[in-house]
Amino acid sequence: MTNNTADSTWHSSMRQTILTPMIASRRSLRIAVFVVFGLALSACSEDKPLNTFEPRGPRAQSVLDIMWPVIWGIIFVVFLIVCVGGVALAWKNRVKPEDFDPDDLPEQVHGWFKGEIAWTVAPAIILAFVGVYTIIGIWDLETKNEPAELDVMVIGRQWWWEYRYDVDGDGFFVDADGDGEIWGVDGLGADGPGGIDGDSDDIEWPLEYILDPDDVSTAGELVIPAGVQVDLYMTSADVIHSYWIPRLNGKRDAVPGRYTTWSVEADAPGKYTGWCTEFCGLSHARMRMSAIALSADDYQAWFENQQAPAAVPAEGTPEFAGRETFKNLCMSCHIIKDGDLEYNDTEAGDPWPTSVPLIAKGAPDLTHFATRTSFAGAIYAQYRDINPDDDALDVSTYLDLPGNYRWNEAELRRWIKNAPDRKDANYENQQGMLPFPQLQEEELDNLVAYLATLD
Amino acid sequence: MADAAVLGDENVAGENSTNDHTADDHATDEHGAHYTSLGISNMKLSMWLFLGSECLLFGALISTYLLSKTRFLTELIAGNPNVVSTLPSALAEEMIHEGSVEPLFDIPFTSASSFILLMSSLTMVLAHKAVSEGNYKNTRLFLAATALLGSFFIAGQVYEFTAFYREGLTFDGNLFGSAFYTLTGFHGIHVSVGILMLVALLILSMKGKLQADRAETVELVGLYWHFVDIVWVLIFTIVYLVR
Amino acid sequence: MAIIEEPLALPPGVTTSTSKPLGVFSRPRNATGLKDWLTTVDHKKIGIMYGAAAMFFLVIGGVAALLIRTQLAVPNNELLSGDAYNRVYTMHGTVMVFLVVMPIGAAFANYLLPLQIGARDVAFPRINAFSFWVFLAGGLLLNTSWFLGGAPDGGWFNYAPNNGVIYSPSHGIDFWNVGLLIAGIGSVSGAVNLITTVLNMRAPGMTLFRMPIFVWMSLVTQFLLLFAVPVLTVAQVLLMLDRNFSANFFNVSQGADPLLWQHLFWVFGHPEVYLMILPAFGIVSEIIPTFSRKPIFGYSFMVFSGIAIGFLGFGVWAHHMFVSGIGPVSVSAFSFATMFIAVPTGVKILNWLGTMWGGKLTLNTAMLFAIGLVVQFTIGGLSGVSHAVAPSDTQQTDTYYIVAHFHYVLFGGAFFGFVGGLYFWWPKIFGYKLGEKFGKWNFWMMVVGFNTTFGPMHILGLQGMPRRMQTYDDDMGFNLWNMVATIGAFILGVGTLLVLVNAFFSYRKWKADGRPDVGPDPWDARSVEWMIQSPTPEHNFDTLPIVTDLDEFWHRKYAEDENHKLRRIATGAEIAQPGNGEGVHLPAPSYWPILLAFSIPIIGYGVIFSLWLTIPGVLLMTAASFGWALEPADDLDIPHDDHTEALTHG
Repeated sequence: MTNNTADSTWHSSMRQTILTPMIASRRSLRIAVFVVFGLALSACSEDKPLNTFEPRGPRAQSVLDIMWPVIWGIIFVVFLIVCVGGVALAWKNRVKPEDFDPDDLPEQVHGWFKGEIAWTVAPAIILAFVGVYTIIGIWDLETKNEPAELDVMVIGRQWWWEYRYDVDGDGFFVDADGDGEIWGVDGLGADGPGGIDGDSDDIEWPLEYILDPDDVSTAGELVIPAGVQVDLYMTSADVIHSYWIPRLNGKRDAVPGRYTTWSVEADAPGKYTGWCTEFCGLSHARMRMSAIALSADDYQAWFENQQAPAAVPAEGTPEFAGRETFKNLCMSCHIIKDGDLEYNDTEAGDPWPTSVPLIAKGAPDLTHFATRTSFAGAIYAQYRDINPDDDALDVSTYLDLPGNYRWNEAELRRWIKNAPDRKDANYENQQGMLPFPQLQEEELDNLVAYLATLD
Repeated sequence: MADAAVLGDENVAGENSTNDHTADDHATDEHGAHYTSLGISNMKLSMWLFLGSECLLFGALISTYLLSKTRFLTELIAGNPNVVSTLPSALAEEMIHEGSVEPLFDIPFTSASSFILLMSSLTMVLAHKAVSEGNYKNTRLFLAATALLGSFFIAGQVYEFTAFYREGLTFDGNLFGSAFYTLTGFHGIHVSVGILMLVALLILSMKGKLQADRAETVELVGLYWHFVDIVWVLIFTIVYLVR
Repeated sequence: MAIIEEPLALPPGVTTSTSKPLGVFSRPRNATGLKDWLTTVDHKKIGIMYGAAAMFFLVIGGVAALLIRTQLAVPNNELLSGDAYNRVYTMHGTVMVFLVVMPIGAAFANYLLPLQIGARDVAFPRINAFSFWVFLAGGLLLNTSWFLGGAPDGGWFNYAPNNGVIYSPSHGIDFWNVGLLIAGIGSVSGAVNLITTVLNMRAPGMTLFRMPIFVWMSLVTQFLLLFAVPVLTVAQVLLMLDRNFSANFFNVSQGADPLLWQHLFWVFGHPEVYLMILPAFGIVSEIIPTFSRKPIFGYSFMVFSGIAIGFLGFGVWAHHMFVSGIGPVSVSAFSFATMFIAVPTGVKILNWLGTMWGGKLTLNTAMLFAIGLVVQFTIGGLSGVSHAVAPSDTQQTDTYYIVAHFHYVLFGGAFFGFVGGLYFWWPKIFGYKLGEKFGKWNFWMMVVGFNTTFGPMHILGLQGMPRRMQTYDDDMGFNLWNMVATIGAFILGVGTLLVLVNAFFSYRKWKADGRPDVGPDPWDARSVEWMIQSPTPEHNFDTLPIVTDLDEFWHRKYAEDENHKLRRIATGAEIAQPGNGEGVHLPAPSYWPILLAFSIPIIGYGVIFSLWLTIPGVLLMTAASFGWALEPADDLDIPHDDHTEALTHG
């Protein structure tokens, strides 16, 4: 994807042009934006982004390795014999109506016992072999990193994915009842902690009350280092979803009240798209995601960037006004961690802080919004290759990007103004995003300006 | 012919194979009942089939109960406030302490009502015996006794439900309440339907319409009744006795 | 509850009855026209009504299918909103499964089982009528959801917790729930009735292993219904209690496990798949021998493979849940078990080919459809093997590859078999043949349309297009094959309509020709339903046939001459029964089945809208039950002994 020359060129141009002083002072953030952005460009050339026949990771490759022999070795051969053979047989043995003779009967064969036994036993033996092969494959897909390398918690929500990265190594959960035991992923079996046989003292449950607010949380895009198996611990906050990045692995459901485990690994840096594949209600078709694999260094830079709090714009700037609008309208669902907007009414000592449903609350954590390549449940690209002459609206003034690539400001504005129009929602029922028809153009300008600073 | 001859030779030998004979020849056997291929009456066969279907119904309900109770206890013991708050604190604490839902139950009481229900199977058998022998006075006596014992059981269940409700276990409160009332309630409805059938038989008998030739009707109701009793043995064991 | 009665169709025998008759109300007599159809207890008329109702629902399901395909023809189409799309695809699946394919199977079973085993009716004619009306009542209740606040939107599988009142607040899923609960009552009572009929009412000499394959497959089907439907009933009762009475069975915040629904649903749902295909297997097992002029190849293997499919069908449900996170142990077990379903299925396919092997084939429309089933079902079965391999299923499940798979099985398989069965038995049912010329058009348009629609879906699925998607993006590489599939769907729609068009024109031609007699045995067929006149006389058999062979009727027509050469010794018309029903006593029609059946949806609406509404429902139900129980066995003016003990419970 990127090379150093491009990197440095990009940097210098960035310094000269870009807006607020604090961004210029945080070079590492720019790297992250650039890295992610560069990948977004490379992904555009993919013809069939979800093709299951073009694996880009060992897991998906192993699935395909099982699939091919079955498809060609068994399915296609039997298809040829039975279907083509059957049609040929029918054609060969046909008798035209004019040639029909009631006394000219074919030989009355009632069966062939040995043959029957043969075509009962032979497929059974073949299938037993396939079965053994299959079972090995099933267990292979379940293997986790020992010891753990990188675990990510994946939470399905209507209609977007939340990802949580454990920063401080204390697990994904808070020791909510203060007994010194933190139930983490290490003790997790495939079925999760639901069984009564498990040591229930270690179980901090249910999930939504005790997720660790110190962790990094993002939305839409799973960012992973390339060449590393990433183990996913999945659940859902509402209905059943299914996590599927076809080029990296098959799919696995995210089930509310349960934990499921899965893993993905990408051979090389790149953007790999996916789609929620368990019907999850109204906007199921608009629940997408992607995995972005970065080189080890890029990943490290990205991860450090994610841990940084968002910058507070200088007072009096349009961005600051945008932040005020965010405070008034967006904060009941969204969160931006800048040390101030942080939603935190967990009372000290309350073991079950019911007032904090999830660290990201009902909607994505926007702390590093501008470092993502997509928004709105990964259905809209944040950066698009457009011709500025065609559509003046699409020219973003906030980020200066090379060539014809622009921040997809126009779509973002439409999205904020009337999200249900872009993606069906039952916002009365907290499913999907509210429309904000009351937003004045100026407020929208300020809000978008503020969002652009969130890198 | 090969297959048919090998596998289908049940009663070719005795059969006259000309077309002149009709099925009417087979219309009766020595008991005066209609000819059927399997030798048991259509009604009895269909009752067995229906009860087979019912097994799956109760199987699914019992599985649901077991799963729901386990999940409920897990949550309760883990201290999930959504679950804990659905019970009065004393009861919740006791359940957590015991690690089971048993503190709710009054085992001696339910044992007694279970015993009553089991005894009704005995009177049901006696009723069938009486009607087969043409002893219509005893038929009525034992039908009434069966219905009465069944009613005692239902009364016990109603009492138990109200007692549990007062103790704080509601149908819509938590998973255990929903599962418990649904499973035992389904069984209670089955017993009630059985009582209705018994009462209908009793009325028929009093009108002189239930005589020895209709003994099978009593037998059919008996089949249903025994089935319901056996299901209760299962439910009683699984719900009340197994911790 | 259970309603039990004696068979009414048996001829009067000597009984020792001393009890007084139970009857109070008189039964409708000599009903004609609409009243005849509404009160009939004749298995043939009930079979025809099952078929007609299925055709009605087929139009609804078909329009839904075309809406889906139109919506997906181009990327980012806005014909249907997400909400509308979800409702349409849910109803397409639900209607096609529960109200089209299942009742067509029931139609054939109802019409043919008594005829093929040599009986005059089913064991319980009134319950038979009740089963049909209650199915219709449930189906209609489900479809009134279109007008009463929106159709269900949870998918035919209706997974929890998305089916809960929080995530689907409209009444749609209540209609789904209650409608199918009601239809389920009909399925179970029908299953009890038909199993009793097959096991107990066979003609003399008709041993189990002389029964035609269709009877066997229907018997297995009815057993599947008997044991599978109650599990769905429990799931739906739990959902009803959750949605309408605030229970917590699927309430995750109370610790409920959403996978409970999936287990219950698929314990029902997988046998369901087999009970949709097995009747069609039975049908082609009748058609192929007839038009190959050979007995079915490996009769006993055909029977036992059908039974094996039925048994295995109960042990593989979790293969629908390979990606649900049920753990590798379960996945391995169910994956392994699922593979072995391919064995009995393969036996069947090879035996059909074995029947055609060395045969002299008449390739008429019925036979073409039967061959269509063999080929297309094989494709569907083979793609099924690829999902039995659980790792590869993780890529394929919930994609269009699955959609392709089960349409090859259920449309290319079951539905083709049913249409073949229509062409085959149409003369027996209605007294005239369906036109061959139209028939060929019908077949080829359906084959082309079907494969153009669902063939590309294999590719779409493997290229990553998920199911249940209202729309897709332009840059995903799905455009071409979606457009092709949509074109195919319209060809298929027209092709399917040709069945009805053919029926209409064939009838008109037959009428114009002065209604010529098609004869009892137009196909030189093999089983005993062809030895009676066409259309079937009301009393079926003048005298019950005495059966000495599998393919009894064929053996009466053909015998070896002195040189041990098989020759025709009689035509079907020569040895057929003349259709003289004198002295045959038939059960009288009854008002009560339809009244009892239609009291149930009133209670259903009560559960959905207001519990007050259940009161008239329960009152009507009680009245109908009493009416049923107190109805006399038969017309009182026919002197004979009372056979009937009717008793109504609850």
